[in-house]
Amino acid sequence: MNPEIEMKSVSELVSAVEGLKNDGCRLVVMTCSPAPDAYDITYTFDKVGNLSHIRINAEEGAEIPSITGVYPGAFVYENEIHDLYGFTFRGLSIDFNGTFIRTSVPYPFRKQAAEPKVTKVPKETAPQAAVPKEVEK
Amino acid sequence: MTDRRTIIPFGPQHPVLPEPIHLDLAVEDEHVVEAIPSIGYVHRGLESLVPTRDYQDFVFIAERICGICSFTHSSTYCQGIEAMMGVEIPERARYLRTLWGEYSRIHSHLLWLGLFADALGFESLFYAAWKLRESILNDLEKTTGGRVIQSVCKVGGVRRDIPEDTLSSMAFRLDALEDELQELTTVFLGDYTMKKRLCGKGILGKEQAYLLGAVGPVARGSGIPFDVRMTDYLAYQDIGFKPVVSDGCDGYARCEVRCKELFQSVELIRRLISDMPEGEAAVTVKGNPDGEYFSRSEQPRGEVIHYLRGNGTKNLVQFRVRTPTLTNVPALVEMLKGCDLADVPQIVLTIDPCIGCMER
Repeated sequence: MNPEIEMKSVSELVSAVEGLKNDGCRLVVMTCSPAPDAYDITYTFDKVGNLSHIRINAEEGAEIPSITGVYPGAFVYENEIHDLYGFTFRGLSIDFNGTFIRTSVPYPFRKQAAEPKVTKVPKETAPQAAVPKEVEK
Repeated sequence: MTDRRTIIPFGPQHPVLPEPIHLDLAVEDEHVVEAIPSIGYVHRGLESLVPTRDYQDFVFIAERICGICSFTHSSTYCQGIEAMMGVEIPERARYLRTLWGEYSRIHSHLLWLGLFADALGFESLFYAAWKLRESILNDLEKTTGGRVIQSVCKVGGVRRDIPEDTLSSMAFRLDALEDELQELTTVFLGDYTMKKRLCGKGILGKEQAYLLGAVGPVARGSGIPFDVRMTDYLAYQDIGFKPVVSDGCDGYARCEVRCKELFQSVELIRRLISDMPEGEAAVTVKGNPDGEYFSRSEQPRGEVIHYLRGNGTKNLVQFRVRTPTLTNVPALVEMLKGCDLADVPQIVLTIDPCIGCMER
């Protein structure tokens, strides 16, 4: 049972979100997920207990208009998507510049994310186990 | 910016915060004019484990997102997988999930009441709240085997059933608990000190709460009558449900909503026990999930969303969790504007922050 999702282009996004706000919808969540060709960013809204969704398709690292001018609370989702997937949101009301979620590697949820660095102590410099001295009789 | 403005860091380690969140408080003469939140100190990235785990085994990881609302996370995840696969769980499983969900709500609200009393220095009240919570945890342990992580939900139903005589004894203990809850909440809602620290503090208007996406007791304390339990979800439509709402729009209203929800949960559990259908507690599930689904539930802190996407294999390709604390952060920023610096700790606590949940 898949939800009904309305596809929008990036240029139509803000006006579509404004229309939903004027209709009395509450912003529930923004979800970014890898799609076969690029990424899907889904905006979910609620009105009287019913969910509705709009979705845009964006290339990796694309610039997307922020909806914080319409729903100020969206800054948490947009900063999160920026920090985990690397999208830039144009006109973001509170921009943490990548410090909202601190990660050990940049954009860890991207399709080709860098592997986390593991620091290993080289064998030759590792402390040797103490050898017990022979006790003189 | 005036030259009187000073930035004071609040957290990530602070006596009232059991978990780390940081706020930069811009203050002018001890009045907060702006609060800038910062998270990410305990981000675990559990969502990224789905491609490496079987969807049925992932229930255990979903449950470990949080140590307080663990049961709701597992039931929300299972509910999403079942919707994707078109699995209809037995009636008794629906009722049992609802019952354990309400027990989790009582224990979570009592935990918050205790922590809140402790943060104000009212330690005897903290002991009283946690003593009552212990009896709820005992019943959870007795029926599921776990106090914090229950591991009782599975795709297709629940792992354990509750025998009729245990259900009767649980109902009997709830009668005694209700009297003790009455005494406890009378102090929270009537005590001079509590009122002094809560009334008129952390104001969040109804329109602001809606616009900022507030959920749970934060939204209902601002007069928004929304609760996921009003929708067609688990057994709430069968037993009847009406949300607890307060129009106070301040910290006291949020505390009042949680106190009243304790009695509401007791009443819901009574109805669940009396109407408990007979039959199996689980069905066998075959196949793999395909498609996508937004599953949602009402946690003690508010609406939680689990987004699931599968491709017909045993591993999901995408899992994303939006917890109530994350969506209540913008509301918290709004509440802190204009408050006194000394009131910041208890205003932060009134949203019942669960950072482990928020960071996943």
